[in-house]
Amino acid sequence: MARIGGLKILLQLSSVTKSFGAVRALKGVSFDLRGGEVHALLGENGAGKSTLIKIVTGAHRPDGGSIEIAGQPVRHLTPSTAHKLGIACIYQQPALFPDLTVAENIALRLEPATAARKVNWRERRARAAELLQRIGADLSPEAEVRSLSMPEQQLVEIACALGAGARIVIMDEPTASLTQKEQQLLFDVVRGLRAGGVGIIYISHRLDEIFQLADRVTVLRDGESVGTQLVRRTGVAPVSNQTELAAHAGPENGDRRDACPTLTESELIKLMVGREVSHIYPPSEAEPGEVVLWLKNLGCAASGVKNVSLAVRAGEVLGLAGLVGAGRTELARVLFGITPADAGEIQLNGKRVTIRSPREAVAQGIAYVPEDRRRHGVILELPIAHNLTLAIHRRLFPGAWLRFGAERQMALEFIHDLDVKASGPEAPGASLSGGNQQKTSLARWLATKPRLLILDEPTQGVDVGAKSEIHRIIRRLAREGLAVLMISSDLPEILGMSDRIGVMRGGTLVAMLPGRSAAHEVMAAALGQAR
Amino acid sequence: MDTERHGFKTLAFRHETVLLFVLVIEWFYFHSVGPRFGTLDNSYDILRHSIEIGLLALAMTPIILTGGIDLSVGSLLGLCAITFGKLWRDAGLPIPVAAACTLCVGALAGGLNASLITWLRLPPLIVTLGTYSLFRGLAEAITRGVDTFTNFPPSFLFLGQERWLGLPAQAWIFLVVAVAVWLLVHRTTFGRSFRAIGFAPEGARYAGIPVERRLAMVYVLAGVTAALAAIIYTARLGQAKADAGTGYELFAITAVVLGGTSIFGGVGSVHGTLLGVAAIAVLSNGLVHARQPREVAGMLTGVLLILALSGSVVPKMLATWRTRRQIPREIQQSNTT
Repeated sequence: MARIGGLKILLQLSSVTKSFGAVRALKGVSFDLRGGEVHALLGENGAGKSTLIKIVTGAHRPDGGSIEIAGQPVRHLTPSTAHKLGIACIYQQPALFPDLTVAENIALRLEPATAARKVNWRERRARAAELLQRIGADLSPEAEVRSLSMPEQQLVEIACALGAGARIVIMDEPTASLTQKEQQLLFDVVRGLRAGGVGIIYISHRLDEIFQLADRVTVLRDGESVGTQLVRRTGVAPVSNQTELAAHAGPENGDRRDACPTLTESELIKLMVGREVSHIYPPSEAEPGEVVLWLKNLGCAASGVKNVSLAVRAGEVLGLAGLVGAGRTELARVLFGITPADAGEIQLNGKRVTIRSPREAVAQGIAYVPEDRRRHGVILELPIAHNLTLAIHRRLFPGAWLRFGAERQMALEFIHDLDVKASGPEAPGASLSGGNQQKTSLARWLATKPRLLILDEPTQGVDVGAKSEIHRIIRRLAREGLAVLMISSDLPEILGMSDRIGVMRGGTLVAMLPGRSAAHEVMAAALGQAR
Repeated sequence: MDTERHGFKTLAFRHETVLLFVLVIEWFYFHSVGPRFGTLDNSYDILRHSIEIGLLALAMTPIILTGGIDLSVGSLLGLCAITFGKLWRDAGLPIPVAAACTLCVGALAGGLNASLITWLRLPPLIVTLGTYSLFRGLAEAITRGVDTFTNFPPSFLFLGQERWLGLPAQAWIFLVVAVAVWLLVHRTTFGRSFRAIGFAPEGARYAGIPVERRLAMVYVLAGVTAALAAIIYTARLGQAKADAGTGYELFAITAVVLGGTSIFGGVGSVHGTLLGVAAIAVLSNGLVHARQPREVAGMLTGVLLILALSGSVVPKMLATWRTRRQIPREIQQSNTT
């Protein structure tokens, strides 16, 4: 406490609010960052982390609240003023020019963009080398960025941030695509930055990283901060990942100075997940029928899905939990024929099938409501009616002739049935709110009268009202005998909606839990800390 | 934005209406400066001269609707004209058989474009830029650059030079193709798929639309249409040369874009294309009657294109600008409701 308290406050957000349309992304969040600390930001997907980050980097302007940087109130934070004030953000996917060298990329960020200037190559190279050396990166300034690995590219980004004199560095899931070893290298660099007085906002889903690296942690939930805690006060000393895992075996582990580290983790998970969830969700009344989908050792090398075996019954909602990048969407894409399977077996209603394209998947009675509804779920420029009938051209329009009356009729029915708020069947998809777009996407697939419905993040970015409506619709569909495979990163949703919960990690199914499992069990399996 | 826009105001700002207005002005202007412009003979002349480009523009419309482009149709017209001449004169096939074979060659050439675009997933611009040179090169190789096919029988030349039921004979073929393409684009699920693909190819795929098959269809169709245009071209001029149809692809694309079809795909209409063809054809014919040099035609077509496009874009930009200023109020409303 004393250590943190003695550090200078670099960034202070007070009661910051931000809404997108009717969705309140941030409901008065206060947050502070001090020089020389790693401040972890935790929360489920959609808790408001990225909105908060975008406010700090100037990409979004807050609706209310105040921002102070190094003690100075800042009114209109834009990306360029944020840059000038020493705020840098390092994303999961570095945004560098692959065809240019490291030195050129650094120069592009740091040198003023004045016209007709003679390039001093030697100075460029020297500066790049100096910056890389300061973060202890063993990289040649001459190397083409294309030839660098992902963590090496991240190092270049960090060098840029350092060169720009960044005092506040934001790292958004920097380790998502790193190996264990690369991760440790990155951590060393982060510790170096901290020692140099830089304040680091660190976003990660991996709890073990938080315990290794962070000084404090702030947990966001539903757009609110549910508390900032000192990580060291909860008693976890920085230890390597192996001892961290070993510590789960028991508190008698010699390296540990505290009594029960697992308690801290589960505390954190509880903070993230929050409220008791069961009663907001419509109760399951499913009596599972026959097996609709049956997978055995399903794999697809191209998308990293391997060895998935599971069964989904009619009338059942099977929730698929896991971290972002665990292979859930990839599995859905395999089932829907977008990236066809190259190993294992798929059976539908007891019959072995091969699915090589979405068209074949549709013909087999599979419907997929994709995660990215603006790119894949609805065609924004087309009217709702056209969107709704896109997957049932053959059935609704025999002989390929459009029947506008029948189409309009069907659209009106679905709009009424799912309570889509739109000016009419002619309204383009872009005019709808997120929730209504999602309903339109769902309606398109219900129109195909599927046997298996795959839902990918069905309520992501959807406001609370539409969310519970979508949940009721899912329940109703299951009751009507549909087999539902529901991918969600929203843990309460998984817990509240699923009859069974499959947990994926690293492209494969690692656990199958009963529907009434506790949040921390699911989270533990997803994080790879089961048993 | 508001979607149920009916009534005069919408109709007046529709691209097609603007274009029709331009066409009428063109007509009256040339009528006043060139005494022979308004005669029936001249109208037939305009019609005859615009039919080959018109056919190519009709075939180009679905392609551009899918967000693609076909630069090879003009070259293919040349290749098909040569093929037709070769089959008739050197292989000794009767005209109808030679014509049927030419249509098949057109389909094959379109199929080549289609397979490169759908299988190898190469951009249509690159693929058809390649076949643009390839088809023309083939035509020149077959004729060694000098051979010309002439002396076609009068029964064949009738198709390009005489009238039937009061109209130039080829106009009837054009009419049939125009109606067929209009129905395809505006009244069938195929047209609907073209638009979906043009707006969002991935979105269309996720909706279970066989994107590759639909794309193959439009390019093969363009190949067949180019072959048909080649036959009509040969009949009109009474000769087939390797340089037939040079530059026609750009006229066709200009007509389609002038007709209001978005080069980015999704938006557009066949009747717009027909108006576009007419506007260009009347302009280039009218300028001759107004005793202007031919070169002016190209210049004015460019001006017309830019004017017509800005004519329909500017009101839209104004509308967006206005709604953008209204956004704060709208958000307040949606929050209270």
